[in-house]
Amino acid sequence: MGTTFIIAKREFRSNFDSTLAYVVICLGLILLGFVFFEFGGGFWQQDRASLVQIFAQAPRGLSFLIIPVVTMRLLAEEKRSGTLEMLITLPVKDHEVILGKFLGAWGLVLLLVASTLLYPMLMFWRPWDLGPLDMGPVYSGYLGLLLYSAAAVSIGLLISALAESQTVAFFITFVVLFALHMVGSVADKMPTPWLREAISFISFDTRLVPFAKGMINTRDIVYFASIAVGCLMAAFRALERRKWA
Amino acid sequence: MIEANGLTKRYGAFRALDKVSFEVHRGEVVGFLGPNGAGKSTTMRILTCFISATGGTARVHGYDVFDDPLEVRKKIGYLPQRAPLYGEMNVWEYLSFVADMRGLETSTFKKRMKNIVEVCGLATSLGKDIRDLSHGYRQRVGLAQALVHDPPILILDEPTSDLDPNEKAEVIKYIQEIGKERTILLSTHNLSEVEQACARAIIVSKGRIVADGPLEEIRAKSGRVRYVVQVHEKRVFEGSPAKKAPSAEEVQAALEKLPGVTSVVELPTDDRAHSFQLAGAQDGDIRAEIFQLMVSKGWLLLEMRREAQKLEDVFKALTKNDERRDRGRPIVEDDEDEAEAAGAEEDEDEDEDESAEDESDEDASDEDEDEDESDEDDKKKKG
Repeated sequence: MGTTFIIAKREFRSNFDSTLAYVVICLGLILLGFVFFEFGGGFWQQDRASLVQIFAQAPRGLSFLIIPVVTMRLLAEEKRSGTLEMLITLPVKDHEVILGKFLGAWGLVLLLVASTLLYPMLMFWRPWDLGPLDMGPVYSGYLGLLLYSAAAVSIGLLISALAESQTVAFFITFVVLFALHMVGSVADKMPTPWLREAISFISFDTRLVPFAKGMINTRDIVYFASIAVGCLMAAFRALERRKWA
Repeated sequence: MIEANGLTKRYGAFRALDKVSFEVHRGEVVGFLGPNGAGKSTTMRILTCFISATGGTARVHGYDVFDDPLEVRKKIGYLPQRAPLYGEMNVWEYLSFVADMRGLETSTFKKRMKNIVEVCGLATSLGKDIRDLSHGYRQRVGLAQALVHDPPILILDEPTSDLDPNEKAEVIKYIQEIGKERTILLSTHNLSEVEQACARAIIVSKGRIVADGPLEEIRAKSGRVRYVVQVHEKRVFEGSPAKKAPSAEEVQAALEKLPGVTSVVELPTDDRAHSFQLAGAQDGDIRAEIFQLMVSKGWLLLEMRREAQKLEDVFKALTKNDERRDRGRPIVEDDEDEAEAAGAEEDEDEDEDESAEDESDEDASDEDEDEDESDEDDKKKKG
């Protein structure tokens, strides 16, 4: 077993040692259920067998609540309590620490994403077989969630690597992710076309819409993947900085 | 096993380590001593590859800390200050996590654990969450995780800080136990621990090594030995020519005339006796002369003892001078050569200072820090 995976496993399991994680997960799922069936008319008003509601709302729920909570501790808390020193002086490379932490946190987020599979399974399979579901958009929608969550978790990890405390990390991550979601809605109000395009280029929501509709653009994949890789590399540098500071 | 060569570490303008060089050989238990902020932890962090030195090199078990950090870490068991552990894990989980990270087979881990649990006294707390443990037990878990892979070298950063006296004694006992077949570098500011556990000590102050050698040698560094003499104040030896008991001045004058005595200080006592502390040369022994004096004068000797200078005194003398010298001086000189030149000059000054101080120290009681401080301040004002 590689050290990366051992760190990821420990990180993943440590989420279940505190009640906070359980509370956040439960709250997230309850909220998602409410949003799915009630928000803006909800599922029944759409008159269509579609999970678009999940793919549109789940990322927001993850960004505003779950990802900041999951990622805030990753490095900020370890730096504060000194356990980072213990971890890094084990025979492990810095990039393995970063990657392990990322995988541990991403794993938890993916577990949550996977739990939303209950909706299509219960509604369109058993026990309430509501009819045939167009599977294409479902697959692409989940691919979108996968990529999006990788990007969001790595943003949180980077902020946690830079922040002095987990509270600070939580708020900054929250603000950054909130901005990345909401920036899309101001795009239409921009006076010049290039500004409009630039804003919708960085907007999470704009990037996620095609996935929910069943469209997979290479551009969107590259967008999320490059955020993830870029943030992980920056986090690696931030971790290395301790050597010289 | 451990070689540090001219290690220097700067934090911005602050020089935490200044050309620190030392060696620790196989099987040695070495105490790394110094006041808080002297650079002990910084040195240890460099040796464990947690941070990098600004200058200089270090090798652990033959591997360079900069080039082969993974190999170095494999050979080291490290306990950082205050034993930071994952509070949410229980002891067994944590230790097996460390073992996994170190690539130990499960069967080897279980075998090693039997021994470790016994040595560290963890048998009853294996299932407890680390956050629920007392500080002493956390420290034991910290020691246990450093021992899991049976490393040839142990680096322990203040393993006994924040512990109560019983726990301290126990941790020292463990260190003595595990130090039988390992190389240990142990940092602390508690001197009695060093005296118990180590044969050799390195004393650092303000990022520099001020003493390095066997404890006996360091103790002898001051080159002095103390005698305490008590003479009866009311009575004299019956049948002696002396008619009345001596006054304090008389005794003091007589003691000062003894060969090799550099200072005589009166100690506070009740009104039954005169008590004096004498300072003499390290290699001499004037107890016979003292007795001779008492007999010839017909005084009643109540107590006489000779004691070598305590490590604590040497430590204080070595590290306090350094602190004073640093006051009001720029912390860092940017130009390396100039700094060295200035350093050489300063060293000379320092020698003079020290000899001057030695005298004043002899006059005053060694224990009395405050007085020393004010003495020093006065000197500065005059200077």
